[in-house]
Amino acid sequence: MGASPFPLRCRLTGSSVVVISRALTPQARALHPHSPFQRLGSGFQRGSSRGGWDQRVTREVQPAPLPAGSALLPYVPRVPPAALPGKLTATTFALERPCCVFDGHANASDTVWLVVAFANASAAFRNPPSQASVPLYEQLPTAHSYMTLETAAAAYACLAPSPAFLRVGGDTACGGQGSRDPCNGPLPSPGPYRVKFLVMGCHGPKAETRWSDPILLRTAGSPSTIDPAPVRCGSDVVVIASILASLGAVLAAVVLGAAGAAAWGSLCRQGSGTSAFARSSYRTHHIPPALPQPLPPGCTCSPPGLGCFVPRPPGPCPAE
Amino acid sequence: MAKSNDGVRILQGLLVLGNVVIGMCGIALTAECIFFVSDPHGLYPLLEATENDDIYAAAWIGIFVGFALFALSILGIVGVIKSSRTLLLVYIILMLITYAFEMASCITAATHQDFLTPNLFLKQMLERYQKSETENNNDKWMTEGVTKTWNKLMLQNQCCGVRGPSDWQEYTSAFRATHNDADFPWPRNCCVMDAQGSPVNLDGCKLGVPGYYNSNGCYDAISGPMNTHAWGVAWFGFAILCWTFCVLLGTMFYWSRIEY
Repeated sequence: MGASPFPLRCRLTGSSVVVISRALTPQARALHPHSPFQRLGSGFQRGSSRGGWDQRVTREVQPAPLPAGSALLPYVPRVPPAALPGKLTATTFALERPCCVFDGHANASDTVWLVVAFANASAAFRNPPSQASVPLYEQLPTAHSYMTLETAAAAYACLAPSPAFLRVGGDTACGGQGSRDPCNGPLPSPGPYRVKFLVMGCHGPKAETRWSDPILLRTAGSPSTIDPAPVRCGSDVVVIASILASLGAVLAAVVLGAAGAAAWGSLCRQGSGTSAFARSSYRTHHIPPALPQPLPPGCTCSPPGLGCFVPRPPGPCPAE
Repeated sequence: MAKSNDGVRILQGLLVLGNVVIGMCGIALTAECIFFVSDPHGLYPLLEATENDDIYAAAWIGIFVGFALFALSILGIVGVIKSSRTLLLVYIILMLITYAFEMASCITAATHQDFLTPNLFLKQMLERYQKSETENNNDKWMTEGVTKTWNKLMLQNQCCGVRGPSDWQEYTSAFRATHNDADFPWPRNCCVMDAQGSPVNLDGCKLGVPGYYNSNGCYDAISGPMNTHAWGVAWFGFAILCWTFCVLLGTMFYWSRIEY
């Protein structure tokens, strides 16, 4: 069972950090408080006897390396390559979760922090020597870096079930005045930022990953730059308008032509009647046949039954 | 003479047939335009906020023109059968007026169909959706209409923004002024909702994990019905006018041939 009997947080007692351990003999604990054997406490393996532990302690005491010289892991944090529309917004970004990266370098009492720094300040960043000097979210404008997303190392273990992404900047409720809790507040500017993970033990950093590539957040444009005008003049409009206009013109022309012809015709008929456009309309009269009359003197003989016709010049027909 | 009698009869028959078709098309045009004006998809507030809702004006004209066509077609049939010059003259004059109105309606509908581009709705959505400070009553009315319509659209059609949720990230908006980017990269209605109306997975929705947010844009849901509307008014009206043109010419010819 890999679960540690130790509590997950280190307890600070004065200036020295002491791992609370029942297995360590008082004798070993009384040796150098800052000596590396306390780092060996993290390498404690179950099953070893108390005697064996003492032997290991006496055998492996040696001068401590500098606290800032933590192990450099080859892992590079990165924004997930999947096409998620929310992985980079104006104030937040997402990172892939570093599963299995810290196994073997961190025990369950350690915490893994995310260091966020402006890309031009990342080279100047120095790992904080202790938990107390961790720069927090509020110090970003001045220190150009901060640490956030404090998580137990066990959460990044291989078998730990967890969501696949970490979201930096997603907590809008934190960042109150003077609070000492690590705040994952929204980022104030588009960056670019660089991040790395840092494993903090009870008295100093233990391991770190490499810095990520610069991450640039989105900058939103103004909607006044959107041009709502149509891209092209539709062909529908041209077809409909032209055909309808021509049909309407034809109808108008026919109507006007008919009206004009009728008006012109009536004007001409009122004139002398000798005009070429004059048109008479003939009204037919019903003329009853004449009854046979005795012939008056001076008539020429005609065939019987036809009456007597006196030749006379034809009169003008009644004008209409 | 028998031949011209036959010719007259044929012309009369054709004119009656033409008028029957005009009458039926008139009824159909009225019904279609009433359907569009009733706004079954609830998209009218979006058009109203563009301050250019001429396709609705075209549909209103279509209602009355359709009814006028029906009435005039009956008059035309009676006039042709009775060979009455007076009736047919009235028919021709009124038909010409109706023709002019329908021409206006068609051309308006065709022109404004082109006006409805994605950028138009995008700009309107960004400037009006959930706008908090409104200048006057008219502005407030339009803003409320746009907000309600977009909320309904995004829920019912499972879509987000005009082209997609990235619209909310690429541009600042009135929505962004009151809702911070970290909590609301896009409106809540872009998230996949459960039966109670709350997001299934809010963190997944904020990140854009597939399955927890709506990735399509709403433009198809807006432009589909509006294009059908404009298309229906413009092209159906155009077809009716082409037919009416022929019938009117025939009627004028027939009228000129009727003897006193």
